[in-house]
Amino acid sequence: MAYIKIDNQAFEVDAGTSVLEAAESHGIKIPHYCYHPALDAVGSCRMCLVEIEGIPKLQASCNTPIREVPHDCRINGKYDMVVHTRSDIVKKERENILEFLLLNHPLDCPVCDQAGECLLQDYSFRYGRAHSRFEEDKRVQPNEYLGSMIVINHNRCIMCTRCIRFTRQISGTHELFVDKRGYNSKIAILEDYPLDNLLAGNVADICPLGALLDRDYIHKNRIWNLTTQSSLCTECSIGCNINIYYQGNQIFRVSPRENLKVNGYFICDIGRYGFHKYEDVERITSPLVKKNGKFSEISWEGAFKEIFDNFAKGKEKYLIAGIASPFHTNETNFMFGKLMNQILKGRTVVGILPPIEVEEDISYASGFRISRDRSPNRQGVVDFCLDLEVNILEVVRDKKIKLMVMLDDGVERRIEDSWIEIFRNLHFMVVQAYALTPLAQLAHLVLPGPAPFEREGTLTNDQGRVQWLRPSLPLKGKTRPDWEILMEVMNTVGKRELRYSGVSDVIRKMGDEFPAYTGMSFFHLGDYGLPKNGQIKDE
Amino acid sequence: MSEKNRSKGLFEFANPSRVERILSRYPDKRSATLPLLHLVQSQEGYITPVAIEVIAQLVDVHPSEIMDTLSFYTLFSTEPKGKYLLQVCQTLSCSLNGADELADHVCRKLDIQPGETTEDGKFTLMKAECLGSCDTAPVILINSDYHERLTAEKLDKLLDSLP
Amino acid sequence: MRQSDNSPMFNPVLTRFMHLDNSHTLNVYRSVGGYAALEKVLKTKTPGDVIEEIKASNLRGRGGAGFPTGIKWEFVPKDPLKPKYLISNADESEPGTFKDRLILNKAPHMMLEGMIIASYAIDCHQAFIYIREEFYQEYKTLENMVKEVYHANLLGHNILASNYQLDVVIHRGAGAYICGEETALLDSLEGRRGWPRFRPPYPAIEGYLKCPTVVQNVETLACLPEIMNRGADWFKSIGPEKGPGPKLFCLSGHINNPGVYEAPMGIPLTELIYNYGEGIRNKRKLKAVLPGGVSSVVLTADEVEGLNMDFDSLAAKRTILGSAGIIVMDDTVDMVNACLNIARFFAHESCGQCTPCREGTVWLVKILTRLIHKEGRRRDIDLLLDITENIGGLSDLSKGSFGKTICPFGEAVAWPVRSFVEKFEEEFFACISDNKTIYKAAVIS
Repeated sequence: MAYIKIDNQAFEVDAGTSVLEAAESHGIKIPHYCYHPALDAVGSCRMCLVEIEGIPKLQASCNTPIREVPHDCRINGKYDMVVHTRSDIVKKERENILEFLLLNHPLDCPVCDQAGECLLQDYSFRYGRAHSRFEEDKRVQPNEYLGSMIVINHNRCIMCTRCIRFTRQISGTHELFVDKRGYNSKIAILEDYPLDNLLAGNVADICPLGALLDRDYIHKNRIWNLTTQSSLCTECSIGCNINIYYQGNQIFRVSPRENLKVNGYFICDIGRYGFHKYEDVERITSPLVKKNGKFSEISWEGAFKEIFDNFAKGKEKYLIAGIASPFHTNETNFMFGKLMNQILKGRTVVGILPPIEVEEDISYASGFRISRDRSPNRQGVVDFCLDLEVNILEVVRDKKIKLMVMLDDGVERRIEDSWIEIFRNLHFMVVQAYALTPLAQLAHLVLPGPAPFEREGTLTNDQGRVQWLRPSLPLKGKTRPDWEILMEVMNTVGKRELRYSGVSDVIRKMGDEFPAYTGMSFFHLGDYGLPKNGQIKDE
Repeated sequence: MSEKNRSKGLFEFANPSRVERILSRYPDKRSATLPLLHLVQSQEGYITPVAIEVIAQLVDVHPSEIMDTLSFYTLFSTEPKGKYLLQVCQTLSCSLNGADELADHVCRKLDIQPGETTEDGKFTLMKAECLGSCDTAPVILINSDYHERLTAEKLDKLLDSLP
Repeated sequence: MRQSDNSPMFNPVLTRFMHLDNSHTLNVYRSVGGYAALEKVLKTKTPGDVIEEIKASNLRGRGGAGFPTGIKWEFVPKDPLKPKYLISNADESEPGTFKDRLILNKAPHMMLEGMIIASYAIDCHQAFIYIREEFYQEYKTLENMVKEVYHANLLGHNILASNYQLDVVIHRGAGAYICGEETALLDSLEGRRGWPRFRPPYPAIEGYLKCPTVVQNVETLACLPEIMNRGADWFKSIGPEKGPGPKLFCLSGHINNPGVYEAPMGIPLTELIYNYGEGIRNKRKLKAVLPGGVSSVVLTADEVEGLNMDFDSLAAKRTILGSAGIIVMDDTVDMVNACLNIARFFAHESCGQCTPCREGTVWLVKILTRLIHKEGRRRDIDLLLDITENIGGLSDLSKGSFGKTICPFGEAVAWPVRSFVEKFEEEFFACISDNKTIYKAAVIS
């Protein structure tokens, strides 16, 4: 361990850590552009220069490793290294580097997407001079498409090369390179290899300025209008951590949120742009009952009465099929399991529809993975709905089951023609859905639940990590949270008086009944989640 | 560009055994990038996109990395050049000995600006930095031959004599 | 090649046989004693002996940096697992310098013998010659030389019946001054763009393919055979003890007799200019001299008096010996124009990796261009001084201002441009468009 001093803080740090990392981990901010924790350090922007005692030239802190030195070389007899990040010489240097960076940078702030979250703005304000002495002609190049979703504004680019290192070290796809040399250098692609891999959207995130822009978000909004919500991506079983940016009832953008135990610093484009698919979906905002082949609205009391009439009232010997969903939260699946295995005990068979999967995982050079399982919570279903039938639809057909309760998977679900016959033969099918999907359309009773961005609860990823899913959009119309609907169904069918005050209450009950989830709460899960007790694969 | 390659939009090295020798000389395949680029340029006159793919496969890197490398160096070109590449040194020692006037003279004589090629495709003019022959300034490099201690007259005679 | 009449004690070393026909061939080289040093080394010396001898000779690198050669070799770790590499840096691109070209043309075997000796000393079995692309004829000469040498069992396996083995590969550059910088050269050799690397780690520890690599200039290598032949004490006796040896000086510019001249280190600059170079052309007066190529601080005619050409004397005058490419300027030279020429050279050759150099060099060019068109503004002078300091620091290192770039290119552009502005102020002031009231602006330091 090396013992160093940075400004007025002295602390121990592992030898080999860079000065920048050591400083950042102790709350000392050193401005930087080209450094990124997920990428190799290059030290080319020169913004992170600091003064190190004993070395006359200012050093790039991102690329200067801390070493233990022999006893007689220690500074003041104690320190392996003493660093000053706020001395006059360092301050002057930052002003100068900012001046150089701004030399050819256009005054685009009023029209640039990055405004408000731009490191050039932030550092200019904090460390720069109020004016530039450059009065010559600026270098001007036209904008270009680097891929179908990424645009580059060359005039704004400061050649920090984060984007290039991303395509070499993280995605391993190598599309981006530096073209030419010196003043005329620019980021480029070969015509035959555009930036179109599934991690492409990340380059617009890691660009510290508004040079690389995501076409999905260009000119749509401003960061100061948007509210940020930490949540999870629900496009596959990895459960990448995201930030959702929304204004009113509209989501404008999804960006990665750092979680070194799950997705690192990045997300894939499926999750990044996935929120769009819910935008134009026609939502069910009230319970619907089918009479004479047509749906009409019904009140919640009416809906629960329909359920009671079909599941009780002389039909106690009838079997009920239950189809859970890996697209729903742990709490919803827990309540579903409770309904099927406790309230309707002995009458039920439970399963899920064939998983929505692709052939194999998509893996990238850095280890980033997109799971083949494109549902977010298969693990949760397995944990909470016990004794799952492998082929539930076959069982329904063979045992001639007439009653069914289903949690709808959502708009991703495609049904096979052979299933339609099976569903049509049911006497009474209740589907809990947020839209009139093909499955919901076959139902006799549809209960309106929230869409993915309106749900709150927990999801368990394929490594056994339980994470907090948080809503960013309000519930629509008469929809009620999924777990609450199931609670009322249980009360109706089982003649119970279950009253949970909220989803947190459900989580506590979950923990009581399932040891792997004992002790969990939103507070404990926090921003990074927790492994199921003793069952995480890689920790 | 060789007729065979131009017509097919393909690229093949004329001397595959030479390519093998080049690759075998280095402990790491990627080091062969520059020599292979030189070979392509001497064969075709410039580096074609297909040639980049071929080199990329030979040295086992992505084609964009080959382009990254080649675009850095002044002397690799992705566009056809004239039969004779005239590199006029313009750095200090040559400039002190009349290179600026000589350069102007060439521009006027050939009626092109630096970076351009004459209409008959014979001469491409380029302004170069120090060619390492400062004692014989002013110097012009024509393809691989140094022409030293030039004056406007000598240069005229020289250019007129080139076939 | 001329010998100084005033130094009767000095006999040419590096150029001693270049006047012979076919001096570049193996036969001629052998006839003047070539490869005797190599035989002596392989048969009677250990690698450690060689390093000690070179250290004792105080030989310093002749590429520009002037780093003590023997000490550089000592840094190479003795770890047997990683192969070691030696690279002869024949990417001579410093303006004003053409001495390596002379060696490559007239005495390439001298360099090669030096390469084999150096490779032996650091336990290297694969060496490279990185030659600039423009030197095509020289490249052909080298190709033939290498063929000859393999035939004569001076390369390959069991060199001269010893059990030492070495292979040499000639690698052509492609037109980039920055590839003469050793870490950029390594990247270029690896097949990438020539972007200099961070130091540490130094190439002697982690160089080509992350293995220990020693990069030496052609002239430095050419000195090695005679040091091994005649001994470190002999070498140290030529010129100042801390940076001795025979040296090739390049004279160009407004000189009557431009060329490469061999003289001992420490020879007075005036002797080179007026004796060897036969003075300023057209009977004009000397105005300024760049002693170490364009990367050095310029000297006025007064400063040239009494100045000796060796590493330490020039460093004391806040300039550098560098590559010993002496560019002489007479009183017809417009210093602003010359300054622009230099700035334009550096802007063209900047690799673009780090901010100050990529943006700053072109800013300098733009300001200087305005100045030569007499559209200068009063604050341009201060601006030039400030920009050069922000890129490459001050040449007076005691003032505590150092370069901000990854590689020494920053200093290389800052030193000449700044010194032109400081030492020839009036000419820059004359370019200011409202020059009715010229007053000296305070120098921002």
